[in-house]
Amino acid sequence: MRRAVAPLLAVTVALVLADSAVVTLALPDILRHLDATVGQVAWVLIAFNLVLGLAAVPTAMSFTRAQPRILSALGIAVFAGASAWCALAGSIDVLIAARCIQALGGALALVGCLELLVAEYGERRGVAAWVAAGVLGTATGPVAGGLLTEAISWQAIFVVQVPFAVLAVPAALAVRAAPEEAPDRHRPAVRPNLTLALLSAALTAALFLLVLLLVEGWRRSPATAALTVSVVPIAALAARPLARFLRPPPEVEVAAGCFLIAGGLAGLAIPPSAHLAWTIAPQALVGLGLGLTVDRLTAQALEMRLPRVRHAGWTIGARHVGVVVGLAILTPVFTADLEDAQVPAQEAITSLVLDAPLKPDDKIAIAESLGRELVDQQGQVPDLHGAFAAADIDPEARPAAARLERDLDAQLERAATRAFRDSFLIGAGLALLALLTVVAPGRRRDP
Amino acid sequence: MTNRLRMAAMPAVALVLVSGVLGVQVANGGGTFEPLKPADPCAARTVTSQADGIDGLTERLVLLGIDGAACRLRVSREALTLELAQPGPRTDAEIDALHDGLLAAVRRMKEDGSLPPASALVDEAMDNADLNGFLEAAIRAIPDSVVNAALKTDDVLTRAIDDLDLRAILANLDDQQGINQQMEVAVTQAVKDSLVDRLRDLIGQG
Repeated sequence: MRRAVAPLLAVTVALVLADSAVVTLALPDILRHLDATVGQVAWVLIAFNLVLGLAAVPTAMSFTRAQPRILSALGIAVFAGASAWCALAGSIDVLIAARCIQALGGALALVGCLELLVAEYGERRGVAAWVAAGVLGTATGPVAGGLLTEAISWQAIFVVQVPFAVLAVPAALAVRAAPEEAPDRHRPAVRPNLTLALLSAALTAALFLLVLLLVEGWRRSPATAALTVSVVPIAALAARPLARFLRPPPEVEVAAGCFLIAGGLAGLAIPPSAHLAWTIAPQALVGLGLGLTVDRLTAQALEMRLPRVRHAGWTIGARHVGVVVGLAILTPVFTADLEDAQVPAQEAITSLVLDAPLKPDDKIAIAESLGRELVDQQGQVPDLHGAFAAADIDPEARPAAARLERDLDAQLERAATRAFRDSFLIGAGLALLALLTVVAPGRRRDP
Repeated sequence: MTNRLRMAAMPAVALVLVSGVLGVQVANGGGTFEPLKPADPCAARTVTSQADGIDGLTERLVLLGIDGAACRLRVSREALTLELAQPGPRTDAEIDALHDGLLAAVRRMKEDGSLPPASALVDEAMDNADLNGFLEAAIRAIPDSVVNAALKTDDVLTRAIDDLDLRAILANLDDQQGINQQMEVAVTQAVKDSLVDRLRDLIGQG
């Protein structure tokens, strides 16, 4: 049992940070199952990050006065209970409330696990394990969520977290760690936390927008989308060996990471087609950038600052407020762009139907069926297959109709891709802003 | 590794990777993966139809006619089609543009020689027309060369377009059968009128 303590605590850190984006691929299923609106379902994501971001610092302050193992165990237990509640939620309001409680428990668990990992491994190794688990969780969250949604259901995302968290409660209680009584000597590290916040906003664009583009825009299954976005965590793993080989100074490493994330997001904004292969290289850039920046910045924000737990609270707060800011900036942009994309998409569809090599009666039958389908599916990227299946067309015209259906789907993919372009470019802009915070000259100190 | 190299290596690698990825994407059409843009409705368009006879002719005429109307209204053919597909009253400008567009389509098809000879349409028109048996037999007995000399397709179409109640057709676009009926009636009536006029001319001359 003793040997499993630290890994269980690291898994808890990964789980809490994975929860930041774990539901991204499940949002369409949640929307349907709980009969919610797009605005409501976005709050399943926003509420968790907002509460975690705002609660992190106050939570960390409580650790200077209480036993870390008790608070950590309490936080993990609340996180586990709230995860189970999320799985059982019968309405969107209940799910959002459960996500808020989950984030509160998660905040306690996150800062508590840092103290416990340091107690287990020592300062340097403990912080490194905490940071690495966080990066892994952040990067793999959407992948795990997508695979579980496809294989089982969206509820499975929350159910699988419960046993890990339940096991982590006794693990937390088993660690003997005294409250950190270090005086409040250091101010929060503004620059690394600001860079982290901006990068988190940019990475939200990478993970949140990409899965939406794959599932809603390109009509890929959640499992396919999950496997596709797994490029990001895999590339993140390659970042450390690259950094070890080139041995850049920390600021240069972070600056290069920001630039890679910006470049990757710009690449995602301009795929030459809707083939999944075109997302791989840009995602690899984002993953490399993620691996070069997030752990390094977190370490910089914590390095030589006391009390450590409070500074951990600041980094968690910065990251998750960054995610919320990213969602707040990007959601209205891409929803408005998706709406604006309807006109060019409809015109492209009209053009292809008018010029289709079909007899007039078949064209009219398809046009009427498409019209009904587009009205029924207003507010989302439509699935046109139903319209073609329902259209009363000559059996001999079916092959030509099938070609037309493929052409129309291609037009919808083009329209959706175009609609996501500005959001990805804004994400790239956020990453460049993060780069600016790294390269901007610091305030000169008086001798 | 020298300090300078350590400073420069990682940014250089990042720059090469980003330039490489963006360069490959742009070279393969990245940034232009967008929905089809509507063509200029005022530019001449080649239209074809999979249907034969009056149906095929009507389709080509409508496609060219919408182009002409869109050109007059300064909107795309697709935008006009989508607008006309919506329920609601039509403006006089839309009706006039469509009427003029259809007439322009007839002229264009006459100029480029894509209008079929009238004899090709007469048999189909006779099948659909509720004509007096004697008159129908008399018309069917007329050789194609005589029919083509007597009937000009562009004249028939122009009469049909003038006869059509475009506002009524556009108000009932969901009623496909009704539209077909109106079109057939208008085309058939135009053929009949043109033939009768020609016969009258011939009898008068005789």
